[in-house]
Amino acid sequence: MIFEVFRQETETDYHTHVGNVHAPDAEMARMFAQVAHARRKPANSLWVVPKAEISEVDADDPGVAMGGTTQKEYRWATNYSTGRMAEEIEASEAEQAEAESRRRRPSAAGDDGGDD
Amino acid sequence: MDLPTVEERAGPRQFGPTDEMPLEYREAATRMIQFHANSEIMGAYIERPFIRQAPSLDRKLAVSAQVQDEIGHGQLLYRAAENLGVKTREEMLDELANGKGKFLNCFHYPLDNWYELPMIMFFVDGAAMRRQASLKRTSWEPYAHAIDKICFEEGFHIKHGEDILRELANGTRRDQEKLQEAFEKWWPRILQFFGPTDDQSTHDDFSQTVGLKTMSNDALRNAFLNAYLPKAEKYGLEIPEYPRVEYHESEDHYEVYEEDLDWDEFFTVARNELPTGRGQIAKRRRSQDAVEWVREAIESTPTGGQPATAD
Amino acid sequence: MATDETLPWDREYALGGPDELSEREQAAVEACLRALADDEFVLAERYTEWQVRGPTLESDLAVANIAQDELGHARLWYDLLEDFGYTESELIWERPLGDFRHATLVERPFERGDWADAIVRGFLYDEFEHLRLDALTETEYPRIADRVGKVQGEEHYHREHARNWLERLATGAVDGDPANGHRRVQEALDRLFPHALTLFAPTVYEPDIVELGVRPTPLSELREAWLDAVVPELEALGFTVPVAPDAHPEAVDTLLPAERGRDGSHTDAWPDLYDELTFTYRQLDRREAPRLMADPDDADGDGGAPR
Repeated sequence: MIFEVFRQETETDYHTHVGNVHAPDAEMARMFAQVAHARRKPANSLWVVPKAEISEVDADDPGVAMGGTTQKEYRWATNYSTGRMAEEIEASEAEQAEAESRRRRPSAAGDDGGDD
Repeated sequence: MDLPTVEERAGPRQFGPTDEMPLEYREAATRMIQFHANSEIMGAYIERPFIRQAPSLDRKLAVSAQVQDEIGHGQLLYRAAENLGVKTREEMLDELANGKGKFLNCFHYPLDNWYELPMIMFFVDGAAMRRQASLKRTSWEPYAHAIDKICFEEGFHIKHGEDILRELANGTRRDQEKLQEAFEKWWPRILQFFGPTDDQSTHDDFSQTVGLKTMSNDALRNAFLNAYLPKAEKYGLEIPEYPRVEYHESEDHYEVYEEDLDWDEFFTVARNELPTGRGQIAKRRRSQDAVEWVREAIESTPTGGQPATAD
Repeated sequence: MATDETLPWDREYALGGPDELSEREQAAVEACLRALADDEFVLAERYTEWQVRGPTLESDLAVANIAQDELGHARLWYDLLEDFGYTESELIWERPLGDFRHATLVERPFERGDWADAIVRGFLYDEFEHLRLDALTETEYPRIADRVGKVQGEEHYHREHARNWLERLATGAVDGDPANGHRRVQEALDRLFPHALTLFAPTVYEPDIVELGVRPTPLSELREAWLDAVVPELEALGFTVPVAPDAHPEAVDTLLPAERGRDGSHTDAWPDLYDELTFTYRQLDRREAPRLMADPDDADGDGGAPR
């Protein structure tokens, strides 16, 4: 069976997908994942999930339109002009603007040192 | 996606498992990654006897870790290839066992003694690192991702290899002579690592147009020579007269006289027909056949397991 | 770990540091350390034989990790012997064959593909090591006390690894027949069990090792505890063990092979193995075995990069 492996770097992080292991069951998958995906860089936690258990929604699936297809600017702070706001509101708007600008840009090549 | 679109969009990490890639791209990528994965396994195979033979505790630990890493890299790469939907990991491993799977030329030759080890561990692994660094910009994202991890791990391999080289180069006169012998034996094979120059390679053009391969054979070899020839000289290794390698300062380019290299042998190796290479493949197959019973046993246990089909 | 949570550096020790030991004390400490170090070293050697030959890529990685762990443990124990002035060359590469004190279990060769051997060997050894390390948490020798915890930290995975595999091989079908996997494990067990008993073979130093507190628990007690642990577990998986857990010690002794390991007598597998592992050292005409990593006393040893 194939188990997908997810790493959590520290207590406060989300688990991130890092690869898989082939194993007969979850117990062996847990043992193998520790060596295959965390022997160099210890993680705080590893999840191993049978590949078959992972249910996916894909942007290319028929009928899927994540985020919708009609105007939804009402959901965005950037839609509203109200002059200066408290700093946490300004920060929220800046975050939304950045997220939107990244969404419109093609992804850049990752150059991180890998997970393990 | 059709091929013209692929060629247009081709760039670093542009394509991933959610993209519908044309068959030609998927087959080319599978071939490339499979070759890489196979090379990791066969490289591990050629180095493994030196875990037993290492002349100190710390060297033994390091060689064991290197061999382990190589198996790990194989694991990552087969997965990156599997994602293309052309072959499963099991199919690729079967091909490696039955002689259909191709792998790097250098791993078709035996490593006879400790003196030869740095030829693989430093020069060949160094060449591989150079190639890998360029593959960080490959268009197939899962491949690039695997490369990130490989590059992270592999640095110590080359450094350990250099440490072994340094130790021998600073050793007795006999050590130095044996080292030089080993170097002369392996030098032509190392030069052939990157394959023939561009006009002779069959698959390269396509791989480059779709962004799978990002640097030409010639450019890679040049970069390698730039970094590693000075190292060879630093350790007192004499570069043999043949094959001729000439440095053209004005172009900052190393010209390798390809006619001085044995390309007949290279292509024999590429077809898995060199006797020592066939021997390696056969030996590995025997080892793998011998543990087939274990794979069967765990795939059938009540605790889990599925039938041993496309895993 | 000992149930009483006193940390190694908070305790009082009956024995002093390496320079403060009497001849008798040093002999006992050395004997204890040599068995420890040689066991782990030779065990690791056989494990490395599985690298690139494991049943799956993942299991290959796991057994390589275990091999490196064990080698790392050997390194820690050899390092404590270096406190007494020995060099790594004297302790391993230039040492007489008959001076090694490992149990015969760890030197035994195995047939190509005999993964059952690796698992049974690991199971029998790791259960022993667990008990031995536990006993050593009570040691009166501070240098050993310092390092036991580190070693125990890695041994847990080894025990789990052996146990998990044993369970799966015991019930796994080969050629459609569950009995086949079972049979292979049984064969390995029959072959290795007598050699596992040499783990507990006492040396002439045993009375001192116990009395002086180097290892306050005698090997005979460790053996009883080991039998109490492994026999029921193996029987629960349907295997037959050549000895009942409550068997009389003398009955158990009759199963011992002629060679005891701990007294320097070894099986015919040892000379070849030793020859192979010293081959390059001799070919290079070496006189020393330099370190690549920091001295254990100067390192964090937490598995991370050097600082």
